[in-house]
Amino acid sequence: MEDKREITFNVLCFNPEVDEKAYFKSYDVVLEKGITVLRALNYIKDHVDPSLTLRFFCQAGICGSCAIRINGVSKLACTTQVWEELEVSKSKDTITVEPLRNFEVMRDLVVNIDPMVEKLKKYKSWVIPATKDADLGKKECTVMPEEFEPINPATDCILCAACYSECTINEGSNQQFISPLVMLRAYRMNKDTRDTVGEERLKVLVEDHGIWDCTHCYRCVQSCVKNIPIMDAIQGLREETFARGMTNSEGARHALAFKDDTMKLGRLNEFTLPLRTLGMFGAVGQIPFAIKMGLKGRVPPLLPHKISTRKQVQTMLEEVERDSKKSH
Amino acid sequence: MYAALEAVRRNPALKIAVITKVYPTRSHTSAAQGGVNAALANTDKSDTVDLHIFDTVKGSDYLADQDSAAYLCEQAPILIRELENLGAPFSRLADGSIAQRPFGGASKYRCCYCADKTGLTILQTLYEQCLRYGIQFFNEYFLLSLEQEDGVAKGVIALDIRTSKIRKFEGKTVILATGGYGKMYWHRSSNAAGLTGDGGAACLRAGMALKDMEFVQFHPTGLRKSGLLVTEGARGEGGYLINNKGERFMSRYAPEKMELGPRDLVSRSVETEIREGRGFDSTAGQYIHLDLRHLGADLIKSRLPQIRELCIQFEGVDPINEPIPIRPTAHYSMGGIDCNTACETSVKGVYAVGEGACVSVHGANRLGGNSLLEILVFGKRAGMEAADLASKLPAAKISDQRLKDQEEHIAGFYGKNQAERYDVIRTELGTSLADNAGIYRSKELGEKGLSEILALRERFKKVKVADHSKTFNTNLMQVLELGNMLDLAVCVAKGAAAREESRGSHSRIDFPVRDDQNWHKHSIFHMNAEGEVSLSFKPVTMGKFELQERKY
Repeated sequence: MEDKREITFNVLCFNPEVDEKAYFKSYDVVLEKGITVLRALNYIKDHVDPSLTLRFFCQAGICGSCAIRINGVSKLACTTQVWEELEVSKSKDTITVEPLRNFEVMRDLVVNIDPMVEKLKKYKSWVIPATKDADLGKKECTVMPEEFEPINPATDCILCAACYSECTINEGSNQQFISPLVMLRAYRMNKDTRDTVGEERLKVLVEDHGIWDCTHCYRCVQSCVKNIPIMDAIQGLREETFARGMTNSEGARHALAFKDDTMKLGRLNEFTLPLRTLGMFGAVGQIPFAIKMGLKGRVPPLLPHKISTRKQVQTMLEEVERDSKKSH
Repeated sequence: MYAALEAVRRNPALKIAVITKVYPTRSHTSAAQGGVNAALANTDKSDTVDLHIFDTVKGSDYLADQDSAAYLCEQAPILIRELENLGAPFSRLADGSIAQRPFGGASKYRCCYCADKTGLTILQTLYEQCLRYGIQFFNEYFLLSLEQEDGVAKGVIALDIRTSKIRKFEGKTVILATGGYGKMYWHRSSNAAGLTGDGGAACLRAGMALKDMEFVQFHPTGLRKSGLLVTEGARGEGGYLINNKGERFMSRYAPEKMELGPRDLVSRSVETEIREGRGFDSTAGQYIHLDLRHLGADLIKSRLPQIRELCIQFEGVDPINEPIPIRPTAHYSMGGIDCNTACETSVKGVYAVGEGACVSVHGANRLGGNSLLEILVFGKRAGMEAADLASKLPAAKISDQRLKDQEEHIAGFYGKNQAERYDVIRTELGTSLADNAGIYRSKELGEKGLSEILALRERFKKVKVADHSKTFNTNLMQVLELGNMLDLAVCVAKGAAAREESRGSHSRIDFPVRDDQNWHKHSIFHMNAEGEVSLSFKPVTMGKFELQERKY
């Protein structure tokens, strides 16, 4: 006998024509083992509620259309097994389905991903090749396998926007943040030996809402449906700013101040850190925030002590520096 | 998108719109894993364009138009280099040149690839370049009609899926790159949900011709449950096909090429094994094994990572440890909108390209690695031709009456007497096609299929759109797509019943051999205002290569 169960799907629905806000609709269906969430939702659409609205296309995990949140996590519906979701689900035999975050909902599970496309454009997510238009197709560019390797993982990206949805900075910045997938593309383009506008691209990347705003929460890496090491790309771009001597940005100064403190003290001098990151004028702007911190009793020491194990910390840092020089 | 790129580069003053049912990177091109053929002679120095032409013509079972096939193969190295120059991430040989691997039906190592994500990376590269050139996209618009007057293009009418507004796009030239029609086989198809032949159906309704619609390629290695494809790359890398007796049965059908025989031959061989009782049993139907275990975990992980993932996610099988359960599944439609080497149709200013077109380079059977090539070579050609013609023609106009006609047509689905369920008709259509116009065909089966499909088309007139919302109405889309599939299915079944020979993917039990005397010709389909489909014929363009028996 096939393993069958009655399962409840709680789907966050919203139709702007009639609904003031989104609400959960419940569908109880009997399903067999081996079925994906996408097939389950389509079963509901065909047999229970034809108005249930979602996107899907290839049904093979390669087009990226059907990214939604399943039990709170952004992923592709077509590659997600219902039975596996039931195992991690908080309530028994129930799966919660919601649209992606950080996008405007157009209807039910369908979101407007145009802002993502606009960001791809803003950060020049394309190769501008050395080959002139008139010479296109005449000769292959030589790309050594070791030059191809760094860009290879990034070309797995299918623009499903799962990382865009999970990104906490995207949420915190009211979707102004560059977002993970765009940084991944930028890294891929800048590492491509055929591209010619790396520096130009990087100048935009270090502006506000750019690469320095990421706080390494790793949510993008965890949610990437293609298991792309997105954080490596973000770090790679930051390293490139130093390699190109582009140290005159808040992010770069912040990183340098971090390093200096760690070398000298083995810890941060949080009192002077804003001054070094933001400069005099920027730091003045932070005074109200500092006062609030002070009222809550969160005051950093004026003259922090050097920590006792700072020699070990310095040795570690020196070793990291040596390694990274070797790899460049 | 290649057409748009070429057009904008040729004449930046032109106003170009790319109208698409899904976001451009969602297109089914992304699913092409294996690669793209070009006689670059990087891996095997002895490869030549002529060999590529010959393989293509032979693979087509001599139904390809040889002028088109020659153009395809001559342009191939240029196009691949061009795409490479623009940043496409091809896998590389140790010397830094583009790597090539063997592929079904190819006499040399000719297939360029990017691991097993070739289509995805080509699609992304084209999209990136379109963004670079500021091409204007109209995402999520559904094609309702192709507009022409006295044989001259006027543009298209499309429905904005987000708002249900019907809009006209007046255009001096129109390029239809609307994809195949293989989804009509529904549950026995590997195709994306939207491969419903929308462009072909629009042409039929506009009085234009479709060609060779009966030729539908079955991919030999679809996953047993989902129909999803395990790419030819798996056999290219050395996978074995094994029956329930443990035999590599391809030795009986293609002793030299074995598993790398052309797709139609391998599909029929697998089907024959199953029909003669040498398959494995399961609740999801009979199947045979594609065994990769002897290739080793390292090779599978490095060269076929997507295939491995696919097997685990959709079939619960890890090919490192177990053989993959497979059976043939409808995969590619060779037929399509009738056009010539310049992508021109019978209407001036209307061009067709890609799987939705029939140019014809694939004839009765497409070779692996030639479909990605076709969209590049003919995409560029169509862009070139359309841009040049548009620069010469006066502005086009579409009357408001035509918009009203479309509005009425759609309102009809909401009528009181509409009661039929789209999903029921759709499933019955898939079953009827697979049974009667599938891998094996006959006069009797074809005629049975045709009458069943005509009956379904009658029932479709009473089909109901249950969702009345104007916002992102996917229910309406599904119904419109079903209507398109039904019109094209009539052509497929009619062609399958009429063609009394076996050629390429078209395999007749009652006429098991190729009949060049009577059937070395293209099938041409027209539809009249009453929806009746008529069949006529057109000669095949020959060239360097004389008719020969096709043996591997």
